[in-house]
Amino acid sequence: MMTGWQTANTQIIPFFGKPEWIPGNSPDYADKSERTDANKKLRVIVIDDETLIAETVVEILKEEGFEATAVSNGASAIELAKTWHPDIVLSDVIMPGLNGIETGTKILEVSPNCRIILFSGQAATVDLLEKARLQGRSFDILAKPIKPQQLISAIRGTTGYLS
Amino acid sequence: MMIQLRDSLSKKLTAMNMLVSGVALLLASAAFFAYDLITFRTNLISNTSVQAQIIGSNAVSPLIFNDPQSAEKTLSALRASQHIVYAGIYDARGHFFAGYWRQPGAWLPVLLPIGPDQRTDRHWFENGQFALVQNIVVDGKPVGIVYIRSDLGAIYDRLRSYGIILLVIVGASLIAALLISRVSQRTVTRPILNLADTALQVSRDKDFRVRAPISGDQDEVALLVDAFNGMLVEIQKRDSALQESERQFRTLANSIPQLAWMAESDGRRLWFNQRWYEYTGTTPEEAVGWGWQAVHDPEMLPAVLARWRTSFATGEPFEMTYPLRAADGTYRHFLTMAMPVRDASGKVVRWFGTNTDVTEQRRSEEALRQTEKLAATGRLAASIAHEINNPLEAVTNLVYLARRQPPNVEKYLKLADQELDRIAQITKNTLGFYRDSVSPTEIDVSEVLQEVLALYGRKLSFKNITLRPNYGADTKVLGYPGEVRQIFANLISNAIEALSAGGCLTIKTARGRAWDGSDRSGVRITFTDNGSGIAPEHRKKIFEPFFTTKKDVGTGLGLWLTLGLVEKHQGSLRVRSSVRTDKTWTVFSVFLPESPKRN
Repeated sequence: MMTGWQTANTQIIPFFGKPEWIPGNSPDYADKSERTDANKKLRVIVIDDETLIAETVVEILKEEGFEATAVSNGASAIELAKTWHPDIVLSDVIMPGLNGIETGTKILEVSPNCRIILFSGQAATVDLLEKARLQGRSFDILAKPIKPQQLISAIRGTTGYLS
Repeated sequence: MMIQLRDSLSKKLTAMNMLVSGVALLLASAAFFAYDLITFRTNLISNTSVQAQIIGSNAVSPLIFNDPQSAEKTLSALRASQHIVYAGIYDARGHFFAGYWRQPGAWLPVLLPIGPDQRTDRHWFENGQFALVQNIVVDGKPVGIVYIRSDLGAIYDRLRSYGIILLVIVGASLIAALLISRVSQRTVTRPILNLADTALQVSRDKDFRVRAPISGDQDEVALLVDAFNGMLVEIQKRDSALQESERQFRTLANSIPQLAWMAESDGRRLWFNQRWYEYTGTTPEEAVGWGWQAVHDPEMLPAVLARWRTSFATGEPFEMTYPLRAADGTYRHFLTMAMPVRDASGKVVRWFGTNTDVTEQRRSEEALRQTEKLAATGRLAASIAHEINNPLEAVTNLVYLARRQPPNVEKYLKLADQELDRIAQITKNTLGFYRDSVSPTEIDVSEVLQEVLALYGRKLSFKNITLRPNYGADTKVLGYPGEVRQIFANLISNAIEALSAGGCLTIKTARGRAWDGSDRSGVRITFTDNGSGIAPEHRKKIFEPFFTTKKDVGTGLGLWLTLGLVEKHQGSLRVRSSVRTDKTWTVFSVFLPESPKRN
């Protein structure tokens, strides 16, 4: 992701481009709609404007046997959810464009059974969550930095809850 | 008290009376005198003519009979007329026949003064004498001539006695006039003198209770006295109103907690309130005029005087905070405000000023500043924590993956390294906020700006704000790095809050000169955002403590603290803003001089 700020300060914070080692983040999901419960792998969409975080989380989830894909903003996630029907959406809260709560709310509209887990490093998200709660939406939240084990157990917990 | 006058009205009136009386008497005397002279001359002519006729009648026989002795006898009767000097009888041909001389022993015949062709009766005045020629006629035939000469001694005698009488009369009249005018003028001059006395007394003693005595007459002077007394009544009313107002003013001026004073239009102090004397321990003799400068801090005095000169030149109200020495020798800070007092034509005639003790206020402001600094540090810490969270999370994930995927260890560790660099950079930038030196050090303003901006990267990208930096060359100044960082952090965070998503923040640095007239060289940093703008009524207040438009998030101390830090660098902070619906923007302009002098 490029912002005006990064353009001006490339010497201070290095730009993180898309790492070439990560397999393409557009999964082949032509046959996914015909999954059976037996061979089902849980599908996770990871949203973070920090591409490196999104990609590493996806890699970890794949290690753990999930089907996962990374996107860098809310709009792309909503588009993807329409066709890919994720079981879980992991999203950062503070992002350019749609924030995590807005994105989660919209995804629930297209995939009502999807579970939304948010992660945030800012206290400001408390206000946003409170607002969402008042609108009848409640989300799980994890505080950054999140250890991979925490993430996995959180997802496992939710999957259990889901099934 | 009587007034001593050189040209008194009384003298003038007397002189006038005398002149009028004198002239009247002289004119009257002259008329009588002239009338008498004319009458006398007429009588002389007719008397002499009668005598000549008598002599002529008596001389007919002697002429016919050629008897001069008899004629002389007739002529000798003229001895009774003292003024006749000579009388002669001449025959028809003009030859001397007989004569009379007043002077005894004289006998020379006198020739007729006229020729044969002028033998008509005539008379004339000549050499102080009267001469008369008359023909002696018998039966229409001239038989002889009478010639009489008379001196005018009688006229001169008369003139002399008239003159003496005139002098006596004029003198007596003038004395009478003098006495009369002495008496009469008192009725005129006394009320005037009394009036003058009263006026003098009023102007000397400033006592408006006195009144000029009333004469009881109904003349012009009485009118004047009445008008004067009426005027005194009016002045007395105004004077007591003025005194009352003055008394109230002094009570008020002494009851206020401020030091107060009045100055001439050129700055000479005229008056101080009681509190001023109590605070400074000076006396009116010491302070009035230019003595007030003695209680000023000698180091500040030139700046104070320079500021005053500006106010004197422009007539603009004076406002400045400076220390004043108390009676015990310690200094306290006073906010001095002075307003010009103008006359009807708009000219400044006075300055009225107060000194308000702001020492406690300054102390509490300083304490507040420290507290706000701590709070700002707290907010900054949160921002930094968030900046660090992302790379930290990435590193955590990369370490986990490196463990799980041994073949990819190199790649994961390389990426982790990069993320750790990023964390190091952030901590390095953060440290700058706390690395505050005692003396100013050289800072590159543009570099500091970039470091501060790095801490706001997340916030900027979250709101999708476009940043347009424009860093000029050679933007080094001497300053306090931590404080400069704080200034920039506050202004950037304000701009981010003011901007809606997709806004634009332009930051420009350039070498420049101060706008305060001092022409000092330094660096100007402008933060331009196209946010909602600041309403004109808020623009003046935004630098005041506790002023905020963001009630739920702001403390209202950010810009106040920022201004304090800028002023600590002897720089300036200005704001311009537009709230026009089609184009809203705000520019904060910071000027940092090349090197601040710390007191």
